[in-house]
Amino acid sequence: MPEIRVTPLGAGQDVGRSCILVSIAGKNVMLDCGMHMGFSDDRRFPDFSYITRSGRLTDFLDCVIISHFHLDHCGALPYFSEMVGYDGPIYMTQPTQAICPILLEDYRKIAVDKKGEANFFTSQMIKDCMKKVVAVHLHQTVQVDDELEIKAYYAGHVLGAAMFQIKVGSESVVYTGDYNMTPDRHLGAAWIDKCRPSLLITESTYATTIRDSKRCRERDFLKKVHETVERGGKVLIPVFALGRAQELCILLETFWERMDLKAPIYFSTGLTEKANHYYKLFIPWTNQKIRKTFVQRNMFEFKHIKAFDRAFADSPGPMVVFATPGMLHAGQSLQIFRKWAGNEKNMVIMPGYCVQGTVGHKILSGQRKLEMEGRQVLEVKMQVEYMSFSAHADAKGIMQLVGQAEPENVLLVHGEAKKMEFLKQKIEQEFRVNCYMPANGETVTLPTSPSIPVGISLGLLKREMAQGLLPDAKKPRLLHGTLIMKDSNFRLVSSEQALKELGLAEHQLRFTCRVHLHDTRKEQEMAMRVYSHLKSVLKDHCVQHLPDGSVTVESILVQAAAHSEDPGTKVLLVSWTYQDEELGSYLTSLLKKGLPQAS
Amino acid sequence: MDPECARLLPALCDVLADPRQPVADDTCLEKLLDWFKAVTEAGSSLLLLQDHPCLVELLFHVLKPQDLSSRILSFVLRLAGIFAAQENCFQYLQGDPSLFVASAAGQLLVRVLDLALCGPAEGHISLQAWDWPACARKIVCHLEDCLRSEATPRVTQALHVLTTAFGHCHGLWTQGLWVQLSPLVARLLEKDPVPAPHALVDLLLSVARSSMLSSDPGLWETAAQTLSRLSPTQAGPLAAGILKLQDCPQALRIQAFGVLLQPLAFVLEATAQAPGMPGLLEGAAGDLMAVDTLPPSKSACVGLLCSALAHLELLQPLPQRPSPWPQAPLLAAVVAILRLCNGSAAPNSEAGGRLCAMLGGCVRVQRAALDFLGVLSQGLGPQELVTQVFAILLEYLVSPDSSPTVLKKAFQATLCWLLSSAAPPGCCDLEPYAQLVLGELLSVLRKRLCSPCWEVRDSGLEFLTQMTRHQGGQAGFRQALLASEVPELTRQLLQDPESYVRASAVAAVGQLSSWGLLAAPSSPEHAATPQKTPLEELLLVLTTDSEGFPRRAVMRVFTEWLRDGYADVAEDPERFVARVLQAASGDLDWEVRVQGLELALAFLEQLLGPCGPSAVAPPGALAQALQALCRVQLFEFAFRSLFDCDRPVAQKSCDLLLFLRAKAIPSSNSQEAGDGPDVTSVEAALRRWQAGEQGQPLGELAPEAVLAVLRSMDLEALQDTLAESSDHVERSPQSLLQDMLATVGVLGDNEADCY
Repeated sequence: MPEIRVTPLGAGQDVGRSCILVSIAGKNVMLDCGMHMGFSDDRRFPDFSYITRSGRLTDFLDCVIISHFHLDHCGALPYFSEMVGYDGPIYMTQPTQAICPILLEDYRKIAVDKKGEANFFTSQMIKDCMKKVVAVHLHQTVQVDDELEIKAYYAGHVLGAAMFQIKVGSESVVYTGDYNMTPDRHLGAAWIDKCRPSLLITESTYATTIRDSKRCRERDFLKKVHETVERGGKVLIPVFALGRAQELCILLETFWERMDLKAPIYFSTGLTEKANHYYKLFIPWTNQKIRKTFVQRNMFEFKHIKAFDRAFADSPGPMVVFATPGMLHAGQSLQIFRKWAGNEKNMVIMPGYCVQGTVGHKILSGQRKLEMEGRQVLEVKMQVEYMSFSAHADAKGIMQLVGQAEPENVLLVHGEAKKMEFLKQKIEQEFRVNCYMPANGETVTLPTSPSIPVGISLGLLKREMAQGLLPDAKKPRLLHGTLIMKDSNFRLVSSEQALKELGLAEHQLRFTCRVHLHDTRKEQEMAMRVYSHLKSVLKDHCVQHLPDGSVTVESILVQAAAHSEDPGTKVLLVSWTYQDEELGSYLTSLLKKGLPQAS
Repeated sequence: MDPECARLLPALCDVLADPRQPVADDTCLEKLLDWFKAVTEAGSSLLLLQDHPCLVELLFHVLKPQDLSSRILSFVLRLAGIFAAQENCFQYLQGDPSLFVASAAGQLLVRVLDLALCGPAEGHISLQAWDWPACARKIVCHLEDCLRSEATPRVTQALHVLTTAFGHCHGLWTQGLWVQLSPLVARLLEKDPVPAPHALVDLLLSVARSSMLSSDPGLWETAAQTLSRLSPTQAGPLAAGILKLQDCPQALRIQAFGVLLQPLAFVLEATAQAPGMPGLLEGAAGDLMAVDTLPPSKSACVGLLCSALAHLELLQPLPQRPSPWPQAPLLAAVVAILRLCNGSAAPNSEAGGRLCAMLGGCVRVQRAALDFLGVLSQGLGPQELVTQVFAILLEYLVSPDSSPTVLKKAFQATLCWLLSSAAPPGCCDLEPYAQLVLGELLSVLRKRLCSPCWEVRDSGLEFLTQMTRHQGGQAGFRQALLASEVPELTRQLLQDPESYVRASAVAAVGQLSSWGLLAAPSSPEHAATPQKTPLEELLLVLTTDSEGFPRRAVMRVFTEWLRDGYADVAEDPERFVARVLQAASGDLDWEVRVQGLELALAFLEQLLGPCGPSAVAPPGALAQALQALCRVQLFEFAFRSLFDCDRPVAQKSCDLLLFLRAKAIPSSNSQEAGDGPDVTSVEAALRRWQAGEQGQPLGELAPEAVLAVLRSMDLEALQDTLAESSDHVERSPQSLLQDMLATVGVLGDNEADCY
C-alpha cells in the first residue's frame, strides 16, 4: 500500500527546533534541521540516532530542505552534515544560502565565547556544510533525482524564506516552513498556487491568535524609543545579526529622517555592511514598495545608523544601539546591558523570544535583581520592554493558505499542542480534510492512492473517435486495449499494434464441447437438421451451412460425427472463440436440449 | 480505585519523584506495591495509567539520569513491572506511536530485566529463563510473543529491546535470554519477506559484540543465514559490522566480504574490455552475470553501489580488514564506476549498457566512488591502473559537467594520490607519471580558480594549499607551479567577493610565499608600479577586510610565519609584531583578538624560550625582552584583553600573562614588596577596564612597572573565574527554579513566541 509517512524529530507540538522527516513513495526527505537555543549540550540538536540506527544517513536520506535561515530551522545543519556525517544534497533558496552561514558563524562564536565549548561545529565545518548546498530559485522545479522533484514558493517571514513542494510521481507534500500571509515593512506575503498536495505540513505558531496589525506595534516601538531618547536615555535593542535587525533599522531610519532626530544610532559587530550587501543582492525577494523605490533610494543604505565602537557605550547622552546576541546571553549586548541597567532613564527593548537560562528571559519574566558573577547583584532599573516582531501567519492566515493550496490532508507543526487542537478542529470542519498534529517522534502514516499515468496510442484514440465518442476532460471513459509496460512507462494500444510492436503472432483460443444426441440418421442429415434448427432460432445471427457439411454461427463451428461405439448416438462437436463465449454457451445449451422432431 | 486515593495520588507521585523529599521506609513502599498489585488485578492497568497520568510521569521521570535514591528507583521499577505484567499495558507503553516513548519503554524493560536478574543473587540465577523471577519471565514471554507475532512493528519493538539489552547489559543472564530467544530470532529468517531486517541486523551485531554471547556457534550460523536471506542492500550493514569484529569465523568473514564486493564485482564483470583482468570474486563470476545481482530500479541500484562503496571505504584503513585486500580489482572497479558515471565507458555487454544508462551523470555515486578512490591511495596498485586513476581524476576535474561537490571530492582524491605517489614519503620528487599529470593538473586548477562557483574556487585553493604544504620544497612541483599562472591568480583571489574564498586565498598565499613560490610578475608593465610584498598584502587584508574569516586566516599565517622564521618577518620581527598587534587588538572579531594573543605568545617564546619547567629567563635576556615587549605595546593589548567582554580573549590573555610571570619572576620572589616603581596609574587603568570602561590608553610602560603589576595581580583567581562558562550563573539549578517560579503567570502571550 503506498503511503506518506511524517515523523517530526522537532517542532512536533512545540516551537523548538524544526526537523521533520517525510517519506513519500519510498523517498526520504528531511525538512529543516534546526537547533534549540535553550539547551547547551547535545540536546540542542535533534536526536538523529532515531534515523541512524542501522546504516548511514546518506544512504537513508535523499535530500535535506531548509526553509529559511533562522537557527531553529537550520542551526543543526553543520552538526548533521559534518559531525553526524550526512553527505547528500541540501536545498535552500539563494538568500538563505547566503545568510545561513553568517548566522551559524555568529551563533558558533557566541556558543564558544560563552562556554569555551569544544563539542561545537567549527568555521571550517560551516563552510564544508555550505558547499553541499544547492540553491533553488522560486517556482523552479528542481529534479533531485529521476523521481523526486522539489519546488519553492515565496513565504514572506524573513528574507529568502520559502515553502517547498516535494513531489514523487502523483504524490506530493507541501511544507510551509514559517510564513506570513501579510506583507510587512520589507517583505511580501506568502503565496502558493492551487497545487492540491496529498499533504500540507503547516506551521501553527499563532494557531489561535488573530494578530493586531503590525503597524500598531511599530508605532508603539517608535514611540518608546523616541520618548527615551528625548529624555536623554539610552536604548539597547539586542538582536541577532540578520533578519529582524534590518526591519527595525528601516523603521528607525525612516523615523529619524522624518522627525529630524539627532541622537546617534549604532549597530554593533560590523555586520551592517554585510547585511546591506545581501539585502541589495536579493532585492527581488523584498516587497513591492522596496523594489520600486530601490532605484531612487536603497532602503538598506542607512544614513543615520553607524558602526558601533566599544568605547561609545560610555559616551554621555542619548543613543540607540543594536547589539548582538539577541537574548542577552553573552558578548556585546550583555556587556552594554550591564552598564546601562542601573539607570532608570535607559530602556532595553527585546524584539524577540528568549529561552530560559539567559538574562533576556530573566528580565522578561519580571526579575529585577540579577545575580551576576562573583556574587554581585545587578539591580535593573532601566525600562524593560518586550515587542514581538516575529512574522508568522495568524489563524486567519493559516486558514487562508489551506484554502489556497487545497490539500487532501493537513498536518500541523511548530506550535503548542493546545492551540493546535483548536486549529485542527477548525480546519477539519471548514475544509473537510483530515488534520494531524503528531508529537515529536510520533509517526503519522497517510495511505495514498496513486494515479498512474498511461499513454494511449493515437490509433486507439482514433478508433474511439470513429465510434463517435468525443473525448471529454471531465468524464472518465472506459477504453479497451492492450497495456504495455516498458522502461517503466505504461501505454495502452490496440491489440493489433501490441502484436506488431512486440513481434508476436496471434494465437486463437477455442473452446470446445461435445453434445451427444440419440439419432440414427446419417451425419450429413444430422448437420442439415442442426442448420435448420439454428437458423430458425437464431434469427439475428448469420447461420451458414458450409460445403464440408459443418454449420457455423458467427465464429462457432458445429460438426456432426458418428459415435465410435454406439451407432444410435451422434456426437455434435461445438467450438467457439472466447469473443463468442456467451453465444457459444447458449448454443451448446440449446443443442443439449435436442433437435425438434422433423415434421 | 476509590476517589480519595485518586485525589491523593498526584501529590504522592510528586513526593516520590522529588529527590529532596525524605524517602519513606521500605515497608511503606512494599505496602504501596501490594496495593497497586491489587488495583491492577482488579481492573485494567491500561485504564489505571490513563486515568492517572501522574503514574506515567513518574515512570518516565526515573528514566532521566539523576540522583534518585536506590530505594525509590527500585520501587518505581517494580511498579513498572507490575504494570508490565499485563499485556494490554505493554501495548500502551511499547506500542506508543512515538519513537521516543517506545524507546524509553524499551529501556525500562531492559532495566527491569537487569534489575531482576543482576545484583547479589546473580550467581544463583539459572541460565534457564523459566527459573527466573516472575517479572523477568513475564518480559521474556512478552518478547517471545512479539517475535512470534505477524505484526512487523511488534517484532521490531522486541528486536530493539533485545538490542538494547545485549548492548548494555553484561550479566550472565544475557546468555540465558539469548539461548531462550535465539531460535525465535532464527525463525524470523524463514518468513518471506524477512520482517524488520534493519532491527534484526542491529540485534545480531549487538549480540556478536557482546563478550558474553559471541562464543555461541549458533549466532554465527544465524548471521550467515541472515547474510544470504536478506537483499544485498539490507545485508550490507551486517556484512560491514561482521568484518569490523575482532574475532569471528573465517568462513563468515569471507561470506560477508563477498556481500560487499558483489556489486563492484558485477560492475567489473559487466565493463570488462578483455578477459585476463583479475575479478573481485573469483569463481563466482559465472553466476554473477546469470542472476540479477543488481536491483532492477535505478534508485535501488544507486543506493546499493553507494553503500557498498561507503562500507569498503570505512573498512580499508582498519587493521582487521580482510586479507588479502583485493586492491587492484577494487581500483579497477572504482575507475570503471567513475567511467560509467561520466559516460566515458563503452561497455559492450548488455549488463554494461544497463549500468551505463543507470549511472550516467549520477552525482551520488560519483561522490561515493571518489571518496573511496581517495582512501584506496593508501595502498599500492599496478602502474597501469594508477595511470588510469589519474586519467579519470583529470577527466572529472576538467569536465564542465562535474558538480561543485564532485569537484571538491575529485580534488581531495587527486591530492591523496599525488601525495602517495611521492615515494619515499616526503623526501623525493613525484614519480615520473605523477609529474606528468601535475602539468595538466595545474592548467585545470588555473581554470577552476576562475570558476563562477565560489565552492569550486575555494576547493581549488584548499587543494593548492595542501599540495604546497607537502610538496613546496620539491623541484618538480616548484618548476611546474612557477611555470603556471596559478600563483598570480591566487594572489588575485585575495580580492574575491566571497569571504570564504578570500580566507582560503590568504592561506594559499601564506603557504606559497613561505616556500618562495610567489615571485613578483616579471612582465614589464608591472615593473613601473612595484608590487606589494605578500606581507604588505596580507596586512592590508587584516586591516581592511570587512569579514572575519579572511582576517582570522591572516592571523594564522602570520603566527606560522613568525614561528617558522619567514624571511620578511625575520628581517625585523619587532616591527612586524607591533604592526600586527596594533591591527588585531582593535578588531571587532574576538577570534582575531585571540589569535593576536597567540601571535604575542609566539613572540614571547622566541624572546624568552619555550614554555616549560626550566622557567625563569636569564636576567640579561629578560631585561631586553621586556624592553622589546614594551616597544611593541604587547602589555597594553594583554592587560586590556584581560577584561575583554568575550571570555576566550580574557582567558588567552590570562594564560599569556601567567607564562610571562613564570618566565620573569622567580617563584620565591613573587611576593616581593618594597620600593617598587609607581604603578598606581596602571592599576587605576586596569580597574577602569575591569569596570567595563574602554577609553583611556595606558601610555608608555616601563618594564619594572609591568613586573610590579604582574606581581600584584591574582592571575590564578582570574583564571579560575574565566574557566567557568560566562552564563554559569544563569544556568544554575537555582536560577532555573527562580525562572520557573517567576514565569508563572507572567509570560502569557509570549509563551509560544519564537524567531
